[in-house]
Parts: sequence; C-alpha cells; structure tokens
Amino acid sequence: MMRTPQPPDLIMAVLSVDLLVQILDRLPDSGDRKSFRLVSRGFLSAEALHRRALRVLRREFLPFLLRRYFALESLDLSACPALDDTALAAALHTAGGCQGLKAVCLARATGIRWRGVEVLVAACPRLEVVDLSHCVGIGDREAAALAAAGGLRELRLDKCLGITDVGLAKLAVGCAVLERLGIKWCMEISDLGIDLLSKKCRDLKVLDISYLKVTNFCLQSVSCLEKLEDLTMAGCSQINDEGLRFLNNGSNSLRSIDVSRCNNVSTWGLVSVIEGHKCLQKIVAGDCFPELVPLFLTKLSGLRDTLNVLKLDGFQVSATSLQIIGVHCKNLGEIGLGKCRGMTDECISELVTYRADLRTIDLTCCHSLTDNALVTIADHCKKLTCLLLESCSLITEKGLDHIGTCCTDLKKVDLTDCAVNDTALRCLSPCLELMVLKLGLCPSISDKGLVHIGSNFRKILELDLYRCTGIADGGLAAIAAGCKSLKKLNVCYCVRITDQGLKHLSFLEELSDLEMRGLVHVTSAGITAIAVGCKSLVELDMKRCYSVDDAGLWALSRCSEKLRQINISYCPVTGVGLCKLLGSLRCLQDAKLVHLTRVSVEGYEIALRASWDRLKKLKLLSGLRHFLSPGLLQMLRARGCRIRWVDKPESFCLPFSLLL
Amino acid sequence: MDPKLRINSEALAKSSCQMMGDTSRNFNLGQPFIQFNPINLCYGGGPEQTFPEFPPTLGTEARSLYQPEPEVKSANQFKPSPNVNNTILDWNPRLILSNLSFLEQKIHQVQAIVQSIINQESQFSNRANEMFAQQQLVTADLTSIIIQLISTAGSLLPSIKNTLVSTNPSAGQLGSFIGAPTSFGLNVSQQQNAVIPMEVPKASACDKLIDGLNKDSCRKEGSELIKGLHGHGNEDVELIKCLKSDSEGTELASLEDHDVKDSDDGVDGENLPPGSYEVLQLEKEEILAPHTHFCVICGKGFKRDANLRMHMRGHGDEYKTPAALAKPNKESTSEPALIKRYSCPFVGCKRNKEHKKFQPLKTILCVKNHYKRSHCDKSYICSRCNTKKFSVIADLKTHEKHCGRDKWLCSCGTTFSRKDKLFGHVSLFQGHTPVLAVDDAKVLGTLDQARPNEVMNDMVGTLEYNFAGRTLDDVQSLNIKGVDVGTGCFSPMNFDACNFGGLDEFLHPASEVSEGPFSFLPFGSSNLIQGSGQN
Repeated sequence: MMRTPQPPDLIMAVLSVDLLVQILDRLPDSGDRKSFRLVSRGFLSAEALHRRALRVLRREFLPFLLRRYFALESLDLSACPALDDTALAAALHTAGGCQGLKAVCLARATGIRWRGVEVLVAACPRLEVVDLSHCVGIGDREAAALAAAGGLRELRLDKCLGITDVGLAKLAVGCAVLERLGIKWCMEISDLGIDLLSKKCRDLKVLDISYLKVTNFCLQSVSCLEKLEDLTMAGCSQINDEGLRFLNNGSNSLRSIDVSRCNNVSTWGLVSVIEGHKCLQKIVAGDCFPELVPLFLTKLSGLRDTLNVLKLDGFQVSATSLQIIGVHCKNLGEIGLGKCRGMTDECISELVTYRADLRTIDLTCCHSLTDNALVTIADHCKKLTCLLLESCSLITEKGLDHIGTCCTDLKKVDLTDCAVNDTALRCLSPCLELMVLKLGLCPSISDKGLVHIGSNFRKILELDLYRCTGIADGGLAAIAAGCKSLKKLNVCYCVRITDQGLKHLSFLEELSDLEMRGLVHVTSAGITAIAVGCKSLVELDMKRCYSVDDAGLWALSRCSEKLRQINISYCPVTGVGLCKLLGSLRCLQDAKLVHLTRVSVEGYEIALRASWDRLKKLKLLSGLRHFLSPGLLQMLRARGCRIRWVDKPESFCLPFSLLL
Repeated sequence: MDPKLRINSEALAKSSCQMMGDTSRNFNLGQPFIQFNPINLCYGGGPEQTFPEFPPTLGTEARSLYQPEPEVKSANQFKPSPNVNNTILDWNPRLILSNLSFLEQKIHQVQAIVQSIINQESQFSNRANEMFAQQQLVTADLTSIIIQLISTAGSLLPSIKNTLVSTNPSAGQLGSFIGAPTSFGLNVSQQQNAVIPMEVPKASACDKLIDGLNKDSCRKEGSELIKGLHGHGNEDVELIKCLKSDSEGTELASLEDHDVKDSDDGVDGENLPPGSYEVLQLEKEEILAPHTHFCVICGKGFKRDANLRMHMRGHGDEYKTPAALAKPNKESTSEPALIKRYSCPFVGCKRNKEHKKFQPLKTILCVKNHYKRSHCDKSYICSRCNTKKFSVIADLKTHEKHCGRDKWLCSCGTTFSRKDKLFGHVSLFQGHTPVLAVDDAKVLGTLDQARPNEVMNDMVGTLEYNFAGRTLDDVQSLNIKGVDVGTGCFSPMNFDACNFGGLDEFLHPASEVSEGPFSFLPFGSSNLIQGSGQN
C-alpha cells in the first residue's frame, strides 16, 4: 500500500515507517492520531501497521476497516449499530479472516446470534477475550458456538439471560483454559453448571457469579479451583456461612472476595474466608450483615499487610471498630463506609489517625458527619484522591477548605445533596487535578461557583449539576471556556438555562454525554447549537424540554452523527421530526419516546420502520403496543431490539388516542 | 388463549401423563369389564373433570397380572396361609408331643436311608445304572415315610397343620390335584424352611441329610433324588437347602466371577458375617414360576397370599372366618430365628453361594428379580423406544414412565433423564459435552437418517397420543434458550404426525368419544404458548 505509483512523499524519505511507528507509540490521544493519519498515505499506512485496537462506530465501514487494519489484536464492536450475523460474517469474509485478533467486544451487540459467533470464532483462531455481556438474546446455542474457541481465556457473559447450565457446560468443556469468566445475571445457571465449570476449567482466576441462584454447593465446587484469585458473588442470597466455610480450606489463591448483598452471609462466614486466605487484598461486604463483631475485626489483623480495599457499606460501626481497622490494616488504601450507621466524627478521626495513606474514602449518606471529620481527614490523608460525601448535609465550606488546601491530589469529589455553596467551590479550587465533580441538588450554587470551576478545574471530565437551580447561562459560559475536556455534563432541571447557555456549551467539542431534562426555556435553537458544536455527542437526554420541536430534531439528525442514545420524551415533536431523527442518525441505538403527544401512531410506525435495523433499546408507551403493527414489532425483536413498555400517567399530556 | 381452556388442557395433559404411567393399557383392556363403566362415564363427563381418582380405580386385578405389589414381602408369600385355622380350638400339647416324637422317629428313618445312599454312592460313584436303581428303591421308602410324616404333622400346631394341609394334595401320588404341579415344591419349601427348623429339633438332621446328599453326590443326582421323592406331579420342582457352614466346604471349585450388577436386589451394604445366617437356594424353575400361592382345593395359582385367601372364600364358609381371612401373623417365637438369606442357583454368579465373594440376596423377591435380570432373556421391549429391553416387567413399567423423558443428551449419544446425571457424566469423560435441543431439531428435520437414539425415535411418532403431548411439554420445560424462531424444535408437521399416529393406533372406540375433543387441545395450546414464548 505504501508504494503507490504517486510521487513518493518527501517526508516519507526522511521518516521511515519504523520511525513513524515509534512516533505513534508516543501518541496516546485519538485526536492526535487522527491528525497523524491525515498527513499522507504513508502516514496512514504506518498507522494501520501500528494499530492494535479498534472501536467501530459505523457498520458500513467495518469490512473496509478490517481490511486496512490487518494487524488488529482487539476489536470493539459494542457501539457498532445494526451489527448482525450477516454483516459480521460479510466483514470478516472480506477481511479474509483476522488471524491476529485476540480480543473482541460484542457487548450489547444484540443483533449477534449463534451464526455470527460461529463465523467469528472460525475467522479468529487466536481469540482469547470475548465480551458478550448484555446481549440478552444470547443463549446456549451461542455459547456452544463460542465453545469452539479453544484458546479463550477471558469471557464476559453478564446478563446473557438465555444461557443455561448446558451452555456453560459447553463452554467449560470447549474452553478449558478459561481464566476469567463473568456470568453475572445469567439467571438460568445453577449449581450444576458451576460445578462442572470448576471441574473442567482448572485455570480459572477470576469468577463473577453475582446474582445467580446458586447455593452453597456451588461454593464447594468453587473452593477446589486452586488458581482462583477473585471471586465476586454479590447478591447471591442463597449462599450463607455454610457455603463460605468451604472456602476455609485455603486451597484457592483468593485475593479478592465480594459478598456484598448476600443477605444470608454473616460475620462467621467472612471470618472463615479470612482464616483460609491470608493474602486477601480486597473484601467487599457491603449490605450483607448489619454488625461488625469483634471477631471479624481481630481476624482482619491477620491480613494486616495485604488488605488494600475494604468495603463495609451499611454496617453498624463504632469508634472502636474503626480504630481496630485503622490500627490493623496497614496497607489499607480504600475504605467504603457508605450508609454506615453510628458513623460520627470520632469514628473518622480514629480511622484516619492511623491510616494516613488512604486514597479513597466513601462516606456516602453518613448524615451525622460534620466539618470536624473533614478536618481530620484533611490533616491526615494527604494523598486522598477520591472523597465521596453524598448527603453529608452538615458539612460546610469550612471543612471543604481544609480538604482543598491539604488534599490537592483529589480527582473525584461527590458533594451531591450537601448543600454547599459558591464559597465551598472556591475552597476546593486548589484541587487542580479534579476530574469528577458532583454537585447535584445544591441549589445555592450560582454562576459564581461555576466560574471557580471553569477557572480552576481544567482537567475536569465529568460535572454533575443536577437541580442546581441557581445556575444560569453565565455559569455555563465559564464552564465552556474553562473545562475544555468535559465529557459528561448534567444540567437537568437547572431551569434558568436558556438557548444562550447551550450556545456556550456548544464550544465543548469533547462533550459526549449531555443530560438536560426539564430545561423548559431551551428551544430548538439551543439544541441546534449543541448539535452543530458538540460533534462528539453520544448521549442526549432532553426529556421534558417542552419548547424543543422538530427543528431541534432536524439539527440533531443532520449534525450529531455519533449520537447513540436519545431521550425526547414529552417533547412537542411531531412524526415528521421523529422520522427524520430515527431515519438519518446512523448510530442511534437507544431511543426513549414516551408521551410524544404530537406523534401519531403512523408517525411512530414510519419512524420505527426507518430505523428498525439499528435500534437496540426502545422505550414506548404501553398503549402503543396494540397500535403498532405486529410485523414491525416482530422485526424489531428479531434484530435484538428490546422494547420497554411503560405505563406512565400522562400528567402533562393528552392521551395520544385523542390525537389519532 | 382462553385461560380456562388452557387449564383444562393442562389438566388433561396431566391426567394423561398419569394414565400413561402404567394404566393406559389397563384402561384399554378394561373396557369389557363392567366395573369400569362408571369410570368411563366419569371420564366422559366433561372437560372440568381432572380425574384425580382415575389411576387408582383402575382394576388391581389387571395390574396384578403383571407385577407383584411392591409391599408384598416374600416372607409373607411363604407364610402358611391361614385357611385351616379353624382347628386351633382343639389344640392339645400332649398330642403334639407324641406327634413330634413320631416325626422324629420318621426323620431318623429318612436320615438312615439317605445315609445308606451316600455310603453306596461313594462306592459306586461312577456307575449310573446302579445308582438309578438304588434311587428308585430309596424313593419308594422315602415316599411312604414322608406321607406318614405329613399325616402326623397334620395334627400338630395349627400353623404347621395349615401348611401340611396345603401340602397334602400335591404331596400325594394319592393326591388328585395334578393341576397344581408347582404348588408342592413351594409348599414343601414352606414346611422345611420355615417351620421345621424352628419347631422340630431334629429337623436340622433332615437338612444335614439333604445337604450331605448335595455335597457328596453330584448335584444333579441329589436333586433328582428329591425330585423322585416329590413324585410325578412335581418333576420340575426342587428344593435344596443347606446351611452356610456346610456349604463353605464345597466352595473348592474355582468359579468365574460374574459380577452382575444387581444393586436393586436389596442386599448391598449388608455385611452379615458368614454363618450368621441361613442360605436358601431356590431352583430356576421355582424362581420363574408365575405363581407362588396355590389353592389346595382347586389348584389355582396366585401371586399373592392375600389373593389366595380371597379366593379361598369361594370354597366354603370355613374360609370366611376373620381368622382365615386375616393376614397370617409372623411367628414370634421366643428364640431369635436364624436370619435367612438366599442364593442364586446360577453357578458362577456372585449371588451364588459357591462364589468366593458370595453376597446373599435378602428376600425371595430379590432372588426372583435378580435371576430374571441377570440370567434370563430380556423379553420385554419398550413399545415406545423399541430399544430398551427388560426381563422384569416392573422394570419395563418403570422405564415406560420415564421413556422419552431422556431429554438430557450427551455428545456421545447417551441420554439421561436427569440433568445432574448428564453433568456427572460430562464431568467424568474428557471431551463429552451436553447436546442442545436445537441439535435435536436438526436431526429431527432429517428424519430419514435414523439414529439409534431414544429421543429421536420417540419423536418420530410411533407413540401413543398422550405421550406425544408429553414430549412437547417436556421440550418446553427444557428451557433451553437460543432457539431461533425459524428453526424451532418442532414443526407443526411433527405434531400432526405424532398426533394422528397415536390416535389411530391407540384410541379405544369407547374412549374416543370422551377424549376426542380434548386430545388435540394440548397440542394446540402448547403450540400457541411456545409461539408466544419465542416471539
């Protein structure tokens, strides 16, 4: 490809391909790489040579991309719309197989069925990692097809609702070298399947069996997996202490265990796990049993050098128990104490006096904490990177001032529902590294506060201003001017925002996720600005934007090519706009279309027919179920689209039947 | 679909399943019987009927033709029947004593005779002709002595008398009841096995005598001797009884290990020390005899003692007393009775007493089942799958209940009725995997390629109509997901094939009227359910 008949690039004479590859090694940013590609054909082919991972956003380019990037090792098709068996097979066929491909992500690729999986496995002999999570239609047959990939090491099947023990057995027999397996929410899998799995896949290191209806017998089987390091079993309510006792034999190499939400697990079960495994690094035990008994705490001392993460959400805690944790767990880096009862400032001070190197502290819903707790945290934990204080309503800017001055490494702060004000934001301004800031339900924050954010937190990626009713367009201007890398923004119900504010926001080119529910003053002009400006927009939620009409949808359908999710419920759009939107957005996969009072049944029908091959998720009013043609619904289902029929009271709208 | 209709069809499917268990045949057979008429009326009564009483009401008589009731212990079978218990009133200890001593005397005589045979045998062991003459001579003597024994014993204890009376007709060359050839042997076995060892101290001498016979002479001769003793009517009946301690010495002959699987025979896990129990061995013909209880008056055979007692009522008022009709109570003598265990007559079998690792059988029923299962032809073939064969009819019945339910299929072709069994199998063998239902469908699509596979065969439709319905239910309950809409397991054509084939073959004219309208419902309803489930 490089040796084209065209006159050779002068620059290629200077920079050979291997030098270009060296340069590419030092270009992590996708935008920079894009610019690199556009330099010349030589650069393009060098990039093709160098590229190992690819995320495909449009189906129609898939065959072409696979042919060009022949050296791919990892392929992400999770965002690829309208991908089905035929498309995948055709793409793989034109590419002549992907010999080097090791990892394929097909998460939420609901159009893929067993034929597609079969073709994929046949075309990629070196396949090692497959992600099929949230493909709810995946069943035993797909599992059987996947089992032909003998070299599979990692497999995610979260929420593949159709997979039963038989499918799992197929996989266990076929993929004997499996090391990581996630079968969360595969509700049909029972003890038998897990038992067979643990007999056949002896190399399993990571296993996620969360929310399965498995019993203690399953843990008996699992306990024989010698290489098992990470066991996640959140929400397995049929497992109790008896089951955890099987893990007491220490024949696993367990490093991490998650028993959160296992209602029947108590301290004793956890104690037996700790007794069996002296190298545990992570214990997640949130919301399973209410009390921290002293035995458990003393057993923790056996893990003093290894334990790094401890999550105890929902426990009854006391100053002494946290003191014991603080004294014993020398290596503790992360502690989760969300919704812990009895949590006081004293508890915090007992914990942090001994544990100065804590990085993450989760104090969600510890309502009685005051500024004193923040002061002690600030005094001791200088390396803090994540502080979650949602609903700690007693804290004020005084405490946050200490945090701001002492913990300058902070990357994530959650102050949702903390009633902080503009001063508090000013106090946090030394935290220049801040990437995630959540300020939902803080109505006292005004544009002044946002100016602090915009001027200080340059690296911020995610900003949540849900129901910060004090903010207006001026604040958004400051944000747009300062936080250029912002990707997620939530301004729901900040009712003072108008089109002008959105015009400011349209300068955020990186913005991919915008939630702007209930912005009643925003019209189609604002939406147009966003559509034109925010080229990266992937998710847009404009539910209850009562002033946005078809013009907004026209703009979106023309400009927001990457838009994947949209919520236009309650918007006064008509069938024409909807049809245009659904018909022209090539990436749109998830649409919430509830209570569109001006859209007739025919409008729905035509719009959905225009987009039926791409939609994966659809939310419609349940009354429509009987009016849409059965053929359409069948087609949607056959393509893997899940329709959620909602039955909401039509609070603001006329019943659509009156508009027929 | 109308929910009520569905319920009805489900009820029907359920009831038909129940019926299928083992009574559908009876139902058909039962048509001519008058006592079934009310049931038929019920059955035809309407769709609301759920027929809960249906299977039990079907005639026990019809069922008892095939199989012994499981609750009937062989001990009961071999208990003397109480049909002569009316003599219990004139019970005289002195008389008994004198009778006993008479018996003792006679037994000594028998012993002496047999002893002489043994002595002569050792001399002329290879001269068959001489032996034969000798035997005939001795037989005559023995016969007369035994007749005396019997007549005397008749006046003994009621229980003994009872057996003896029942023995009487067949014991006699004088007896006129040739119609019951096998009854003698069995009843003699009652007498000798059950009664005499406990009541008569000298009885063991008799045992020893016969044992000695068995041991020293070649066995055929010994049994022929006894055969002769029994007379012309009982030629195919023999009884050999020996104590374990005696027979141990004879185990010199090295025998092949026939490791026959008969875990059902109820003796596994039992570790009785050798010698702590008595070993009985029935002969082949006795084991295979269809009946074990015979009427002493007319000779009619019965499988169960209770049935015999019911039958005896017809022979006179003396058999109608509560005592005669009562279940003969177990003789609870003060001294603990010797535990009895049974040996299989098949030489070389592990259950044969001469086997090195002899494992005795617990009851006569065990003997029967074991012998049939292990050493007889499997003559009962399942009419559904046409592959499974059984020698015990009860096994066939059990299989038929589950036949077609072997929905768990391994890649090696083995089918299992339970998922855990399949998974156990898969975990044992390298490379074996469970087979999905859709793979079945593939095979089903190409029915021409006959596969030696039960599931397939079942589906092809040589089945009874209600079975077809059940198959469908089963497949639905399989819950194997991932079946494409287009390639569902069952095309409507297959339903029809099953349906009509079944109807033509099996629907009885009388029941057709009542069942006709509903027999289609399960298919229709489940078809709909399946369809809606997949969309």
